[in-house]
Amino acid sequence: MLAAGFAAVVTLVRAALLPRIISSWGYAERAEDLLVRHGRLVRRLSIVPYGRMQFVDVTAGPLERAFGLATVQLHTAAAASDARVPGLPPKEAARLRDRLAALGEARAEGL
Amino acid sequence: MSQPQQTAPPEARRRLHPLTPLLRGLRYAAIAVVAISWQGYEELGTVRWAMAVVLVAVVLLLAALVSWRATGYHVVGRELRIHEGLLWRRTRAIPLERLQSVELVRPVLARLLGLAELRLEVVGASKTEAPLAYLSLDAALALRERLLALARRAAPVPTGTAPAQPGIAPAQPGTGTEPGAVAAGPVAIGPAPVGALPERRVHLIANRDLFISQLLRPQWWALPLAIAAPIFFFFTESSLSFVAIASTVTAVIGTIQAPVRVLLADWNFTLGVAADGLRIRRGLLETRSQTVPPGRVQAVGIEWPLLWRGHGWVRARMDVAGLTAQDNNRMREGTLLPVGDVPTARRLVGEVLPGFDLTSVAVFPVPRRARWLAPFRAGVLGYTLTDAVFASRDGLLTRRLVVVPYGRIQSIRVVQRPLQRLLRLASVHIDTAGNGLPAIAEHRRVSEILPLITELAERARAARHGG
Repeated sequence: MLAAGFAAVVTLVRAALLPRIISSWGYAERAEDLLVRHGRLVRRLSIVPYGRMQFVDVTAGPLERAFGLATVQLHTAAAASDARVPGLPPKEAARLRDRLAALGEARAEGL
Repeated sequence: MSQPQQTAPPEARRRLHPLTPLLRGLRYAAIAVVAISWQGYEELGTVRWAMAVVLVAVVLLLAALVSWRATGYHVVGRELRIHEGLLWRRTRAIPLERLQSVELVRPVLARLLGLAELRLEVVGASKTEAPLAYLSLDAALALRERLLALARRAAPVPTGTAPAQPGIAPAQPGTGTEPGAVAAGPVAIGPAPVGALPERRVHLIANRDLFISQLLRPQWWALPLAIAAPIFFFFTESSLSFVAIASTVTAVIGTIQAPVRVLLADWNFTLGVAADGLRIRRGLLETRSQTVPPGRVQAVGIEWPLLWRGHGWVRARMDVAGLTAQDNNRMREGTLLPVGDVPTARRLVGEVLPGFDLTSVAVFPVPRRARWLAPFRAGVLGYTLTDAVFASRDGLLTRRLVVVPYGRIQSIRVVQRPLQRLLRLASVHIDTAGNGLPAIAEHRRVSEILPLITELAERARAARHGG
């Protein structure tokens, strides 16, 4: 009962803050690296050089597909690297993927 | 990456050594005995226990025999292929340009039978990807030589942007003139340089120091407790069964096994440098001989355990992608120096990371307000940037310096937790392809974050482009 109430409160607070949480996501394609920022409570910024990219994932779950969205994720050889850009329109996701792949190819450094 | 396809006829598959199933079966049987445990021994009685063990051993031996029949390996182009499995067939192709480390392991039984196991580590594998157990010693040595030669030919200079990988042994003045060093370039196609490459010995550990250093580990403090507990039970319950004694022995072994294992594993630890990389040999009962090709060291950690400070001793380990070095019990995986004084550590670390001087490191301290978040560690925390590396310091009792060459940085992350935001602090994480040594500039002023990450990104870029 208590746990359920707590969960409900957390959900409500999250729902109220959702626009702010979502607006915290952002990415920038720079000349040499990709910047990804997100989080309100815990703020995170990742800098991933294109040359370090191992592969790019574009995923779209059923819910994402229903709303016409997709997620682009960049993987490096480091497991801790965290460069995920969710909530992109499929067209933008495909463009970003192609651009990242092209840049990664041009600057590939491996390990 | 496009590899020039070699059109040589495919090599015939080779089998592992015929004694493999026997050795493996024995090993599994030993594990089974441990699994049955003392409790089981008590319940079953000696005869039935022995029968159970024999039955398990026979079944495992048969299974090992079947698996041996189905296992084979061969080199195809620049890949090592391993075929295994009878019901679930599996063929693994190991691209040798991704080879991170090769280890020749010889457990006691294998040594008696003249056998050896070859372990290959590749990127992206969570565990040892290709344990080839067992080969005859000659076959293992020849295969290792061959794989390293292929890796050397395939690996260097991705896309031709970096003339020499920074942070690597062959770029050193001491080894540059050796004939073997020339083979590191992509020119050496032709007959593979089989045979021993010239090796320069860098360090041989003093076994006495290793012994003393392992006595100076906190695990021994648990020993009196492990012995006292059954004595206490004896006086309170006035009966001491065989199981109680056996359990005590097991408990004692359990507490002290970490230092004893290090002692056995790092006995006669020798570090050498050759054209094919760092060479480490160690071990008293089970001997290991590891080769880490140039440019595979992602990070180096130097640790000052509290109990060793009286002797001025440190230990050093290296993070190689594919090797796991998460906890202390398994740190023997990436040991660079099991124990030694600071000048020794400085020499060895300088060997792996040329241009880095351990003794000249002075870290930027964290601001006073970081004490709110790290009351005990605030005086220790800090980072520094040298010409070639990023280094960060952490740890209260066991002080640790983690050193990452700029050329090995995979990505940079800034993380700011809520309390950090209140205090206008943030942490910068440096990600490498290794996974055992976290390099973090913790609790930095927000105002220094942007200059720091800009500088790091720039230096990492310059290092990648061989600048």
